[in-house]
Order: sequence, then C-alpha cells, then structure tokens
Amino acid sequence: MLRSSLERQLNILDYALSSLWRRRLKSLSIMLVFAAVIFLLASFQMVTTSLSQAAGRALARAPEITVQRMVAGRQETIPLAYLDKLSAIFGIRKVVPRIWGYHFDASNGANYTVMGLDPAVMPLGESLNLTLAEGRFFTDSEKGKAVVGQAIPASMGLADRRTFSLFRPDLTLKPFTITGVFAPGTELLTHDLIVTTLADARDLFAIPPDRVTDFCVYVANPAEIQTIARKIADRLPDTRVLTRPQIQKTYQVVFGWRSGFGSICLLTALAAFAILAWDKASGLSPEERREIGILKVLGWETADVLAVRFWEGLLISALAFGVGCLLAWIHVVYFGAALFRPVMVGWSVIYPPLALVPNLALADFLLIFAFTVMPYLAVTVIPAWRAATVPPDSAIR
Amino acid sequence: MRPSTILFIVLLLLLGAESGLAFHGAYLRAEQRAQEPELDIVTAGLGLSDLCVATEARYTRNPAASDRVVPFMDHPGAVEHFPTGSFWAPPPYMRF
Repeated sequence: MLRSSLERQLNILDYALSSLWRRRLKSLSIMLVFAAVIFLLASFQMVTTSLSQAAGRALARAPEITVQRMVAGRQETIPLAYLDKLSAIFGIRKVVPRIWGYHFDASNGANYTVMGLDPAVMPLGESLNLTLAEGRFFTDSEKGKAVVGQAIPASMGLADRRTFSLFRPDLTLKPFTITGVFAPGTELLTHDLIVTTLADARDLFAIPPDRVTDFCVYVANPAEIQTIARKIADRLPDTRVLTRPQIQKTYQVVFGWRSGFGSICLLTALAAFAILAWDKASGLSPEERREIGILKVLGWETADVLAVRFWEGLLISALAFGVGCLLAWIHVVYFGAALFRPVMVGWSVIYPPLALVPNLALADFLLIFAFTVMPYLAVTVIPAWRAATVPPDSAIR
Repeated sequence: MRPSTILFIVLLLLLGAESGLAFHGAYLRAEQRAQEPELDIVTAGLGLSDLCVATEARYTRNPAASDRVVPFMDHPGAVEHFPTGSFWAPPPYMRF
C-alpha cells in the first residue's frame, strides 16, 4: 500500500519534472529570479545575525554604566566635580573618567577614534599588553605615547616610523610616539583606535582641565546596575545614563528589518512576489488549461492535477531556496558581504576586514522560508485548483 | 534514468555542498571563539561600547553612545546624508 502510494507520487514527480523541462526557459528564469530574491533576504539576515552575534560576544564586558552629560540635546563634556556626587551613591565601586572623541585626518579623509584613559584603573587593564601584536601599553605617567589600531600606521603612511602628529583645534601639532599596535584579532573593536593617556587626549582636544567626556561606572553588585543607574539619573538630571544591558541590546536591534536598507531588501522581495503572485493568480495560460483538460479526459483526478502543480511549485521554490541560501552564505562568509559593503561602510576611509560567520539557527531559515516559499506555493496551487475543477471538455475547448 | 533520479542526485549535490560549507563555518566559528578572551580584555580594559564597522559618522561608529537624533542635528532642517545611516536603525532607548 505504502509502496504503491510512493510509486504514484514518484510518477507524478516525474511528470512534474517533465512538465518543467518542457517549459525549461520559463521555469529556469522563475527559479533564478526567485533565487536572487532569496539570496538578497538571506544575505541581509546572515549579515545582521553575524554582526549581532559578534557584538553580543565582544561587548559582554562593556562598561557597566556610562554617564554622559547632555546639553540642548547634544552630548557635552562632563565636569569632574560630578565625581563627588557619583562617589556618594552607595553601591558604586569605581568611577573612571575618560576623554574620547573623533579626529578627522584632512590629509586622507579618515576618521580616527581617540581615547584617553588610565588603563591601570580599568578592569583587566593590567592584561591589555596581551592584546597587542607588538610593543607595550603605556603608563599614565608617560607623555605623548599611544597604542594604535591596525589601520592607523597604514592610513597615515608611517611605514617603519613610530611617530606621528595630530592637529589640535588651534592647528598646532600634537606629537605621539606609538608604543604598541593592537593585534589583528581585535580589529572588530580597535581598528581605528588611538589610545593615549587622559592628559594627552585632553591636550589634543583642548578640553578644560575640569572636564572629561564621560565616566565609566562600575558597581559592587552587577545585579544592581539598573537601580544604581536610576539613582545616578535622579542625582544628575542633566546626564544620560547608559547601562551594559542597554549597550548589548543596541546591537540586537540596530541591524533590523526596520533600518532603511533592511526595509528596501524586504520591500524588493515583497514587490517581486507581488508580481509573481499577480502573474500566477491571474490564471493559467490556455496551453496549461488545455493540458489539465487532457489529463482529466485521460482519467486524472483533480487531486492528481493539484499534486503535479504542487510538486512543480515545491521544486522551483525549494531549489531556489537551496541555491539562494548557498550563494548568500558564500557571499557573506567568503566575500565579507561585498555587495552590502558600500552601504555598511559608506564613505568610511578606514574599516576593518569583517570576518562574518553567522551561527544560524533553524528559526533564521524558517523566517526566510516563510517569506518566500510558502507564498509561492499558495499562489501556484490556487489557480491550478480553479482550472482543475472546471469540466475537461470546456478546458480543452 | 528517471527524471526523479536526476533530481535526487542534484538535491544530494546541493545538500553535500551546503553540509561542507556548514562544517567549514563551524571551523571558522571555533577560530573566532579562540579570540574572545582578547576581545574581552580590550572591551573591559578600554571600556568600549561599540563595534568598529563604519567610521564615517559618529552615530554609526558609536551607535550605543551617540546622541539622540544626531543624524539630523548638524543644523536646523538638516537631513541625514551618510550612507551607513540607512543600514543602522536607532537603538530603542533613543527613539521618541
């Protein structure tokens, strides 16, 4: 019984394949368009998943609380006097002032992220030497020293030189000596970084001695991060308080379908399906209707005709799904999402070579499957059912 | 040869290629996991809050620590013009 049922389905599958082969140009073109749409959706899903996962892993040790001062909706420097107010809050273990910002290099159009802090007072600060490909980390007492990311020496054209200068706001030069270069394995975080002492960063950006950019706050009990963040916000109402869970959550949502590019990918896919659905739902061609009529005259039942159309739709969509996902994986993992790079990095002059390897779950594939294969199966079977239920003689005529 | 046999061969080839890529992906992920201790030290030691993916605008270089509506703040009536702005959605706590 089972064997005969299987044999029957195999025969129907053979017929469906022959039918697709008869219309091979049309079938192949539909499959290619379909695969291209799936490739687009799957590539976007894989890029965003791998970036979110990379952020989840890399930012697990982000500052527990970051306090920034807001003036007229913009982030401004924060007075060091706020340290006293913060230190008075019970549960705060340590407050570390930082000066950081961006430096535009007019000679090559690159933006560097300059960070000034005392590494000795930071968590794991004593281990920072382990993250360097060469050299060592400076101490807070050294002047004019910097540890830089992999991109900096090449971007500045330093070759073997280990000194460089950056312009202060008054266009005088601030010299630095490179004491270390971050390892390539940390590029996802350090590629454009220039890390220096608090005093040198203050000198470079001409920030007054009583001001810093923000405070990193560390608490005694990590379970109390939210409570202490609320207390800080109450005591310093002109500040914005960022917590580690908020930072981690940022990367779970910033690469979403609601971003402009994500919406374009989704809308492109929806438009392609709308055109495909319109073509299918507007009815079968006279040849296809005649074929169904002949099959019914030969004794095929409505269920058999529907099975043929179902197999045809399933074959086209499943093959397109397999090919589209395969190409998307190759595009993202082996070519670093090269088609998306112009949008991902924009006009950035320096950006790290992204090693994107998404850890995809079944849910990711089901999402793409639900967006693509399911609607196609629905729009294929419905017109076939309408044609298969009309009397065979009228279908042939 | 039956058409369905050819189909099964094609499907097996596709499955084989995808399995091979999945295994290689697992190997690459294991390589990445080996670098996690380094990333932990850098993140904690420098208090970093963001990935360095794009460096053209401060709101895509540091989206977690950026201003609210910063893309439109440069002057009254300013429009967002950096290409990366279209790839990143604002974090929920910065949305109005």
